[in-house]
Amino acid sequence: MRTIRAKLLVVDDDSDFREAMRAILESASYDVVMAANIEQATEKILAERPDLILLDIMMDSLFDGYSLCHAIRTSEKFSAARATPIIFVSAVRKIAGSRFGFKGEDQGLTGPDDYLDKPVDPKDLLARIERFLAK
Amino acid sequence: MTENAPLFLVIDDDEAMRDSCSQILTRNRWRVETAEDGTAGIAKIRDLRPDVVIVDLKMPGLSGFEVLKRLPEIDPGIVAVVITGYATIDSAVEAMKAGAFDFLPKPFTPEEMRFVLGRALDRRRLVLETEALRREKKVLEENFITMVSHQLRSPLVAIQQYFEVILAGIAGAPDARWADMIRKAGDRVRGLLRLVNDWLDLARIDEGRLVGSFQPFDLTALLNRLIGFLSPSAHEAGVSLGWAEALPPGPARVLGEEESLEQVFANILGNAIKFNRPEGKVEVRLTAEPGWTVVEIRDTGIGIAPENLPRLFEQFFQAAPREGGVRKGSGLGLAIAKKIVEAHHGRIDVSSERGVGTAFTVRLPAAAGESVG
Repeated sequence: MRTIRAKLLVVDDDSDFREAMRAILESASYDVVMAANIEQATEKILAERPDLILLDIMMDSLFDGYSLCHAIRTSEKFSAARATPIIFVSAVRKIAGSRFGFKGEDQGLTGPDDYLDKPVDPKDLLARIERFLAK
Repeated sequence: MTENAPLFLVIDDDEAMRDSCSQILTRNRWRVETAEDGTAGIAKIRDLRPDVVIVDLKMPGLSGFEVLKRLPEIDPGIVAVVITGYATIDSAVEAMKAGAFDFLPKPFTPEEMRFVLGRALDRRRLVLETEALRREKKVLEENFITMVSHQLRSPLVAIQQYFEVILAGIAGAPDARWADMIRKAGDRVRGLLRLVNDWLDLARIDEGRLVGSFQPFDLTALLNRLIGFLSPSAHEAGVSLGWAEALPPGPARVLGEEESLEQVFANILGNAIKFNRPEGKVEVRLTAEPGWTVVEIRDTGIGIAPENLPRLFEQFFQAAPREGGVRKGSGLGLAIAKKIVEAHHGRIDVSSERGVGTAFTVRLPAAAGESVG
């Protein structure tokens, strides 16, 4: 039993997808904060200090999720959030996997911690989140 | 050229000619490099990528014509001006046919030279601008397709995600009939997503952008990987999948876009497994014909009716009978395969006998100087 509920940030441009994610996460008693784009996500990360971020890749522009992930890992502004686990949740596996996916040699520690294909299997999603929060 | 002064390369065996050309050009604040023969000229063209090449037609060794001929292979955007010693119209015409932009008949005055090279430079600017515009257009188109695919996929993915939530019982336990219907609805959405993805693949190939990312790679390794990857599903279908010969073929270098060719062979192998009989076989054979690397994939399935063979590579054509009126797959797989193979200047052919099986043959141009080991 958790005494303080972990807070998760869902960043996705599709409101229905966010709602479905909220249903899954709240069923496991997480606090859920949502953002529809990079600006909102930035605001929420700084104000709400989420314990984990679920991040879509393609939003207003092609690689918004990737840019945000990179910024969290490298920019001064996000220094307090630098170590926050980030899970890419996206339907663009090819792009994410081959070029912008996991922490590879070329990107050092600037990539995401995990990657999930849309649609996500609720059990799988919750298991992964649990693993990252237990660390 | 945008940042620096334009670079000219003078290729002439006559030292006096090289010096006087250099003097005239540097006075215009243009940069000049020289080469004393065709071979050195080609090397400098490769290394320095000059904006304009001025080349003497008559040189010992590699002639000016030879240099002109090789220029497009290095960079088709480089503008060439020839110096002709005899001022004969014939050699000038020949040079223009071989790709020269203009000619300078010897002897010429500095003014004449500046005038001709000024025009050559205008030409070069036009070439560069056109190229930049073409690239920009390509990026826009690529982004457009990606954004369209995003717009088409997002609603379908949201629907799928709601189904997942319902089926996981998060919104209350669904009864068995509900769950069954939701699952069926989910299958249809997945089919629609596949159609969207396939159709966008097809649109991408249409734009002929594969060629830009051609690289030499080992086709044997690719096929080995696919055989390994598809073995579990073949096993599940009770079909044996592997190389036709006991000994797998040696490396086969092919020039192409590996990811797209992987898609081609995954599609053919997938069909060969899917439309096979229990305890059937799928055999892969890799051989060489002069200039070609040939992959043959042979199955022991039900075969394809002769009247259906010519239509097999058409978009949305499906030879397999529908199951309960529902189409399996998008009907675009082989159309995509054909487009990809043809974008590689290759060929895809099919032969089939009812009750015996089907064989797909893919011919790809072999990478220069390499053959099946």
